[in-house]
Amino acid sequence: MAEALVKPALLTHEVPAAAKPGLLFPRPTTKTGLVGWLTTVDHKKIGILYAAFAICFFLIGGLEALGIRTQLIVPNNHFITPEFYDQLFTMHGTTMIFLAVMPLNAAFFNLLIPLQIGARDVAFPRLNAFSLWVFVAGAIILNIGWVTGAIDAIAARTGHGLLFNIHEPDIGWFGYSPLTSKIFTPGISTDLWTLGLQVLGVSSIVASLNFIVTIINLRAPGLTMMRLPVFTWMSLVTSFLLVLAMPAIAIALVEVIFDRHFGTHFFEVSGGGQPILWQHLFWVFGHPEVYILILPPMGYVSEILPTFSRKPLFGYPVVVFSGVTIGFIGFGVWSHHMFTTGLGAVATAAFSLATMAIAVPTGVKIFNWIGTLWGGRLVMRTPMLFALGFIWMFMIGGFSGIMHAAAPADAEQHDSYFVIAHFHYVLIGGATFGLLAAITFWFPKFFGRMINDKIGKLSFWLIFIGFNVTFFPMHFLGLNGMPRRTWTYDSNMGWNDLNLLCTLGAYLLGLGILVYFANIVWSYFNGEKAGNDPWDGRTLEWSIPSPPPEHNFAAIPVVHDRDAWWYEKTHREETARDVAATIKAESSHGGIHMPDQSWFPFIAALGMLLGGLGFATYHLPVALVGLALVMFGSYLWALEGPGGYHIHLDKDGNATEDHGSH
Amino acid sequence: MRFTALFRSFPSRAWRALAVAALALPTLGLWQLDGPQSTFDVKGPVAQSQLNLFMVTFWVTLVLFIVVGGLLAYATWKFRAKTEADERAAPPPQSHGNPMVELGITIASILCLVIIAVPTLKAIWFTDDVPAERKGEAYEITATGYQWWFKFDYPGETAKTLNPVSHKLEDAPLSTANELVIPAGRPVHINLRTVDVIHSFWVPKLAGKVDMMPNRANRMWLQADEPGYFYGQCAQYCGEDHSLMRFRVIALSATDFAAWLVNQKLPARTVAAMADAPANPLPNSKIELAMLDLTGRPSGEALSGSDIFNHDPFAAWQARQAPVAAQETPALIAEGRRLFKEKTCIGCHTIRGQEGVGVTGPELTHVGSRSTIAAGVLENSSQRMRDWITDPQHWKPGDKMFNGGYIDPTNPGADRKISLSDANVTALVAYLQSLK
Repeated sequence: MAEALVKPALLTHEVPAAAKPGLLFPRPTTKTGLVGWLTTVDHKKIGILYAAFAICFFLIGGLEALGIRTQLIVPNNHFITPEFYDQLFTMHGTTMIFLAVMPLNAAFFNLLIPLQIGARDVAFPRLNAFSLWVFVAGAIILNIGWVTGAIDAIAARTGHGLLFNIHEPDIGWFGYSPLTSKIFTPGISTDLWTLGLQVLGVSSIVASLNFIVTIINLRAPGLTMMRLPVFTWMSLVTSFLLVLAMPAIAIALVEVIFDRHFGTHFFEVSGGGQPILWQHLFWVFGHPEVYILILPPMGYVSEILPTFSRKPLFGYPVVVFSGVTIGFIGFGVWSHHMFTTGLGAVATAAFSLATMAIAVPTGVKIFNWIGTLWGGRLVMRTPMLFALGFIWMFMIGGFSGIMHAAAPADAEQHDSYFVIAHFHYVLIGGATFGLLAAITFWFPKFFGRMINDKIGKLSFWLIFIGFNVTFFPMHFLGLNGMPRRTWTYDSNMGWNDLNLLCTLGAYLLGLGILVYFANIVWSYFNGEKAGNDPWDGRTLEWSIPSPPPEHNFAAIPVVHDRDAWWYEKTHREETARDVAATIKAESSHGGIHMPDQSWFPFIAALGMLLGGLGFATYHLPVALVGLALVMFGSYLWALEGPGGYHIHLDKDGNATEDHGSH
Repeated sequence: MRFTALFRSFPSRAWRALAVAALALPTLGLWQLDGPQSTFDVKGPVAQSQLNLFMVTFWVTLVLFIVVGGLLAYATWKFRAKTEADERAAPPPQSHGNPMVELGITIASILCLVIIAVPTLKAIWFTDDVPAERKGEAYEITATGYQWWFKFDYPGETAKTLNPVSHKLEDAPLSTANELVIPAGRPVHINLRTVDVIHSFWVPKLAGKVDMMPNRANRMWLQADEPGYFYGQCAQYCGEDHSLMRFRVIALSATDFAAWLVNQKLPARTVAAMADAPANPLPNSKIELAMLDLTGRPSGEALSGSDIFNHDPFAAWQARQAPVAAQETPALIAEGRRLFKEKTCIGCHTIRGQEGVGVTGPELTHVGSRSTIAAGVLENSSQRMRDWITDPQHWKPGDKMFNGGYIDPTNPGADRKISLSDANVTALVAYLQSLK
């Protein structure tokens, strides 16, 4: 059993315990194979699944971007039709935000939060599995149009006519009403978009509640809030943002669905509806969403910089407070996305000033990261390069953000390529660089192998140069009057050279991403074996084996300081005393308690998939079957109970499972 | 071996490559913000105020970038582990921060923002509406967005139309499409409306954009300081042909504008058929042929083609204002007018004083005097108009411009009720070009 722990988690083979009796069918106990992964409640496996799906969608979203850039490589290009181009940019935005960056962050929430707070799992393990599978359901609903569209294209070529007549949505990721009205987009692609996002919202809210409860309730003894690792703090703030922001878009989407399906007039102009209402609801969600995307990467960077500087984060309380402040003010700036909608001078001024205010805590964070480097001993490994790249790129994105905050200047920049440059500096240079840093940083922990550092650094430079060649010129394109979401442009506008440069840069960026993930795959099989603590880490996840055992901690740690593991490393005797006391206490009430696996989260999520597809495609029976499956899954999930079993560890740390008693 | 050597020196090489690239950037034309939609080459007070504010934000953030970036670069360089021994050395002192530093940078950031905030507030109120002391001289326009073209109404003007029954002149509203003519040196107040989805009115050299929102009465103001020809474009995604929803603004001196108004207010021009008029062929040969490959492959060439149009569009526009009798064939024009009715073009397009009465497509009363067609996408030439009428879906895929006639629902397999022969198109073009 101990050997299994040093193998990559995906390759473990264990003898399953005898199946347990369950409701209707036996409760699964197998930890491997398809059933093991579909029914898992282990936060680490769920995290790995989140990451795997998210990376797939990240690559799909990247291909969509390359399609966009290829169309724009020369003026008056007819490489793709405007209709397909519109689908590409709609799904590029939707995919990258909802199906790539958000679930990758969720993957790290899952992987790291329990480990950083010294817990054995999240507060609601089955709910966690439900979040994962609902996310997958939403992703399928959003992307099924590619499949049906491709089948239709083949059918049309072979003279069979349209089989489905379902393509991807072409309403923009922002879905501005009244383009979503049935008059303008009669096809069901828009319904798939609304239902897909609605389903994803369920996943986000459920997951966030789970993480909030986990962080507040499952912290190890001594782990006070102001000792919490910064990443966990940022996850907590992000989770609150999600819980508060998601309902706004959920309401807005319900209204669109009602307009389209039941003839209501929330946004329907002919019935007196107000399209501006959609924009307010959408951005009340959409602006906090920006911080939902960027706060967790700020957390990764706040873990990585201290580790590779080999000193604590500079100004921990200020960094945490800044994060909370950003989250708070983030709810008061949504209309800066709407400066050109005729808000009136007073509202424009208010949102302008609020937006500038948010630059203060953001700037303070950057200063604290520099303070962390100051006087440190900077070890330049791949994650550190990405983290430093993050600071540079995020800083540039922040500065162009300040330019937008000045509303009259924004009137020229809004919906131009200047904005595209700005938010890609924040979302690629910021969020994605943070995620790429995090993947290389924590990969050894979860797969037991190091990432090849040389290829990692090569991929960093390819990505860094490719990214800047792609997006820096877009500032100039925007200032030279090139609007965004533009299928093509005329050759006398002065945009030709820079568009060519941007497209070449995009290919280089794509190559860098390819090298990066090829390196990950290669390292998974061939990487150098990683010990428990390959980076001389500071937080609790580095105190346990790589990959971590199912129960994470043999003994729940007792925390005496910030950077708990760093403290343990320098206070060995005190730690040994704590461990002995904890093990004694735990074995006195039955050993390590672990949650049982379950089919029902998966079944309920399957119901969400069927329900979403049925509703979106106006197939009532399918929708009702889906609804029934959700009800069935949820009720049996409740009736089944949490279950659970105990793990007993011998002196060498070998585990035996005891499924007899709860 | 050579490869590994290259590999080892990669970071320093990358830096060198980056430095070279940075030096080469200006030569690539990055700094030449001189396109027809440049927000730097501004021609009016609203765009000027927006540019001035941008420059404030630019200089403040540039100074910040140099200070913060300099600190970051210095820290990265100074404190990097230089050798493997450095990496393994005992960790540095475990310091935790400094409250005075935090307080200092917070106050400094707030001060930097105040430098931006004050001119921002001033510019918000300046760009919001025509300054109070100039309200009296403001000229009013109503711009309406359609998928995918712009209609411009002149609510202060009254045009003339011909009553089809009594054959008497009657009052009618003045409106035009895709080319907005305004007086230079006067503030122009624009009411922004839409009939379908959200569009956005953007003439970068004159003013930043304001959206045309359904069920909302938006407005904006701008002013062109000097007479000129300005490019504009819809700036809010509005469906399939969003990128091909373009327009122009032509600013004229007070006298030129008055003269233009006089002509525009007249009903559509009719060309008297003179028996002895020479039967000149249309001057197609002068105009370059379609440069876009009709098979749909990229060409990279200008859509809007002739030299004068590309290099001095204002002159091209002025040259179109008066008819050139030698180029007109009255019989052909009369045939075109007949076809315009017969082929049901009149159902969508208004030609004031003649048969056209539709309002769903652009107003064409004086289309011959415009410099562009197809919502600013194509140069207005006989050849381009022929291209456009023959295959509008090629130039604007998904566009609502319809030339295929209708299909008999009782016999869908039959030929369409309406089709345009080559001769038909020639006559239609002659007619439309005569509408100066």
